[in-house]
Amino acid sequence: MIEFEAVSKAYSGGRQALTDVNFRLAPGEMAFLTGHSGAGKSTLLRLLLGLEKASTGAVRVAGTNLAELSGEKLAKYRRRVGVVFQDPNLEDDLSVFDNVALPLRIAGFREEDIPKRVNAALSRVDLSDQASASPRILSGGQQQRVGIARAIVHRPALLVADEPTGNLDPELSARVMRMFTQFQQLGVTILVATHERAVVESLPFRRLVIERGQLVSDGLGANR
Amino acid sequence: MTRWMLDHRHALADALKRTGDRLTQFIVLVILLGVLLAIPGWLAQIWIGMSTLVPQSAVQSESLIFLQTPLDLEARIDLERTLAERSDVEQLKFVPKSEALTALSEVDGLAPIAELVADNPLPDALRLRFQLTSEATSESALMASLQSDPRVLSLQYYPSTRVQYAALVQTLGWLGFGLTFLTVAGVLMTVFLVSAADVVDDRRRIELYTLLGASRRYILRPYLYRATFLGLLAGVLACLVIVVLNGVLSEVLASNLESLDTRLGSVPMDGRILLSVAVIAVLASWIGAERAVNHRLKALH
Repeated sequence: MIEFEAVSKAYSGGRQALTDVNFRLAPGEMAFLTGHSGAGKSTLLRLLLGLEKASTGAVRVAGTNLAELSGEKLAKYRRRVGVVFQDPNLEDDLSVFDNVALPLRIAGFREEDIPKRVNAALSRVDLSDQASASPRILSGGQQQRVGIARAIVHRPALLVADEPTGNLDPELSARVMRMFTQFQQLGVTILVATHERAVVESLPFRRLVIERGQLVSDGLGANR
Repeated sequence: MTRWMLDHRHALADALKRTGDRLTQFIVLVILLGVLLAIPGWLAQIWIGMSTLVPQSAVQSESLIFLQTPLDLEARIDLERTLAERSDVEQLKFVPKSEALTALSEVDGLAPIAELVADNPLPDALRLRFQLTSEATSESALMASLQSDPRVLSLQYYPSTRVQYAALVQTLGWLGFGLTFLTVAGVLMTVFLVSAADVVDDRRRIELYTLLGASRRYILRPYLYRATFLGLLAGVLACLVIVVLNGVLSEVLASNLESLDTRLGSVPMDGRILLSVAVIAVLASWIGAERAVNHRLKALH
């Protein structure tokens, strides 16, 4: 599903963010991307989301080299990817329902098809009763779950999460991770960037460790 | 509903919402741009209205060319042909001295001169009317050449008001042109800066939409709709200002206007100017927003 082949990324000014990164993630596989702040996790995710282009090497998703995509094709690619952020990035002036419906409206779904999908996504994150609420009145954990519902509402084949538990307490972190595990069991490929060791080590998934822009370890979680 | 219609419906709703969120800023901009656009629009209105106010007889230059006496027929016909072939001459009429004498004798107190018909002291003449569009320099050059022509005794030249004030008209024309250019540039720059600031404000939201798969056009559309509302309202306001100013000017000049032509109750309005002002307002606003948002989106991505 995801293939990084000898990927390097240097920013203007000469800062080398990634150096010769190689890994593959099979369809339906879940992996953690770990490393210290500034190690290159965000750059790797930005490459995967098509926000940056690799200086050398190739980033392929489902066989498509992302460097070859631009404009409308790149937008279409992103519509097949779900993204979860550390800050859920919700629109305060929209209801929970409308926040979750956003990817569907952007993708041009018919209005009559939207409620069914949004309700299904909200039910998956146990927020069906908050559909009409404003995100402002929700707790941090609930907001993060709205963010997750928004990321899965269009049933993406690939889910990318950037520090999704960064602002949550351990109990909520575990709950979010259980959700990811459920999605993975449904066949979604998931890459979770996190620096929380406890989260990574509690789950039996592949762990990609990145340091100073280089992939230094690629193996299974400690408890497996 | 098609995808295209859906996208536009979302963009329109988004633009209305944004306008509502920043209503004070929007109203101030509409007033600013409306008044700005009204200035050259009003000047253009006066400019075009002038042609209606100037009497027809003052619009075209004329000349009376008195011919040498005696002048043989061949020389006269040659002069007539030379003049008639000029592109800036609209009409050339030969006025024989007998006709001139008759016309002169019809003037109060000059009836006795009709008796001079047998020994008519008046010269034959040519009456020349220039084209409406003829140039002041071309008319002057012709008058100068005729004055030194041996076939011409003397001449009278009645330049049109346009020719009389050619230098002033030209200066005002350039001023109007420059002012229009500055206004359009001003509107463009204002909308550019405001839209660019909006994009900076919306940076987080734009990044989110980008990650959710929104195309650049999708992100751009609400800003363009907002700019179109802005241009449209500013254009309508500019038209209203022009109409009001025209009304005020008409009141001030009411008695002078009626002395020019009894049918003139007010300074005439030209619908083309109002339409142009509205179209310029929308276009300038649209282009300003399009450039700003695209520029910012490129920087963001």
